[in-house]
Amino acid sequence: MNAASTPAIELRGLRYAYDREEVLCGIDLTIDRGEIFGFLGHNGAGKTTAVNILTTLLTPTGGSATVGGFDVVAARAAVTGLIGYLPSEVRMYGHLTATENLVFFAKLSGVADPGRAAADTLAYLGAADLADRRVGTFSSGMRQRVGIAQAILHRPQVLFLDEPTAGLDPLGVRQLRETIVRLNRELGMTVFMNTHLLSEVAKVCTTIGVLSGGELIYKDSIAATVARFPDEASLEDIYVRVGSDAP
Amino acid sequence: MIGTIAAHQLRLWRRQRVAGATIAVLVALTVLAGVLGWASHRTIVGVYDESVKLLAARGLPAPANPFVRKPSLSMLSNMVVYVTLIGALVALFVGHLSVADDEADGIGRLLFSRGIRRSHYTAGKITGAAVLLGAALAACTFVSAVALTAVNRSVPPVDDLVRLVGFYVLAWLYLTVFSVVGSVGVLLAGRRSLGLLVAMGVWLAVTFAVPQFTSGLRPTQSLNPIVDPVSTSQTFFRVTRIARPYSISEQFKEAAGRILRTAPDETTLHTFGRIAPILGAALLAAAVMFRAVARHEVFRGDPDD
Repeated sequence: MNAASTPAIELRGLRYAYDREEVLCGIDLTIDRGEIFGFLGHNGAGKTTAVNILTTLLTPTGGSATVGGFDVVAARAAVTGLIGYLPSEVRMYGHLTATENLVFFAKLSGVADPGRAAADTLAYLGAADLADRRVGTFSSGMRQRVGIAQAILHRPQVLFLDEPTAGLDPLGVRQLRETIVRLNRELGMTVFMNTHLLSEVAKVCTTIGVLSGGELIYKDSIAATVARFPDEASLEDIYVRVGSDAP
Repeated sequence: MIGTIAAHQLRLWRRQRVAGATIAVLVALTVLAGVLGWASHRTIVGVYDESVKLLAARGLPAPANPFVRKPSLSMLSNMVVYVTLIGALVALFVGHLSVADDEADGIGRLLFSRGIRRSHYTAGKITGAAVLLGAALAACTFVSAVALTAVNRSVPPVDDLVRLVGFYVLAWLYLTVFSVVGSVGVLLAGRRSLGLLVAMGVWLAVTFAVPQFTSGLRPTQSLNPIVDPVSTSQTFFRVTRIARPYSISEQFKEAAGRILRTAPDETTLHTFGRIAPILGAALLAAAVMFRAVARHEVFRGDPDD
């Protein structure tokens, strides 16, 4: 199979249950390469569980999931080589400098020159001034930039961001949005972003999916979505409408 | 990968000043043991010298100096107790920190999304703790050798130096068990504070409770490396004697006593037999940690934070 022709992410009947409580109830979803996908849903909808499965941290209880054409269970090592991941609350090692943190994660990813990769990535994100400072002294925004740096150190094909704007001030949110768009356009990364903030989605994403009660109730491009719901004034109205139309 | 994780852990401990504190505490204990041994030596010799003078004044013959018959390494006998009491607690804390930081800060999610094997992570953490404790005990060995040289005013014979190294290797094995227990506590409890409590519970049981059931209820043996009491025919004592090998603190104290010659001599094979349960405990603790990491929900945050 030609790797470029496979979707970036593909879920087929994906299920996950914590004990007896089913969190994901058979999700089918295809995300093409180069997309910025916004995964919407209320808190507790199952978004983080889906990301945990796609980043190989959880094993699904049913169905299948592939990233870059590789199954997240059967080809875990191949998947982890393709992905970058930024959890919702990234703290990293506060006693170490940004560079020391990044060099460690670069080594874990098998990057050939970890020191150079750390310096280059921080420079790319405009965060070179943070290199020799201890992460424990950083503000939320600074920590988020170093967190993104650790996620893209090894230049992954698919970047997973779980509630990336949590705890950021408006300036930090804007910088993050710009960074996501740059990573997508300049480095060709497919971005999968969990969020419940519609303003982010409208400004950044090319495609959205809405998760409710463990089921994917909507998926389409932003352009098609706006065209499909011409009467709604904003994405928030559309989100409410989609949610209320769900079975 | 194991080396990367171990080296990273050591760097982190150095930055957190955990490495320095661990080495400082163990070296301080060694110095304390040495000072107490030296003070004891000086007191005995002082009393002996005074006695010799008194006896000489009365024209009586003086007996031989009792300290001459005492093994030179006995000066460090207090260290045996310090290792089981304070050293084990320090090791417990070291092991606890190695996993608790990753757990509390959600770093486990970052680590395992990078495809590192959980077995490598576990081995790296154990290796890091073992290296730190090894470094601390190597410093203790050096300080002990210097203390022996200073007190005896001569370099200890090779046999004593070998025994000294043997004692600290045994202490390293014993403390490594507790560092793993400290890590396992966090993994099983899932919370930082509860994890430390669980690990301390194990330390209390191993150090104080189990010896009570395996040494014939001799409370003082928790504090002093004394030898067996006179054997008894009572059933309870027979049962506790059977259970004795399972008390690794007892086995450590007795094996250490033999190595330092503060306890009655026995065959080398017998001493190795006492070390076997400690080795077994180390392997068991490591196996439990490998399993706990393999089954651990790395995405879980710490409700304490």
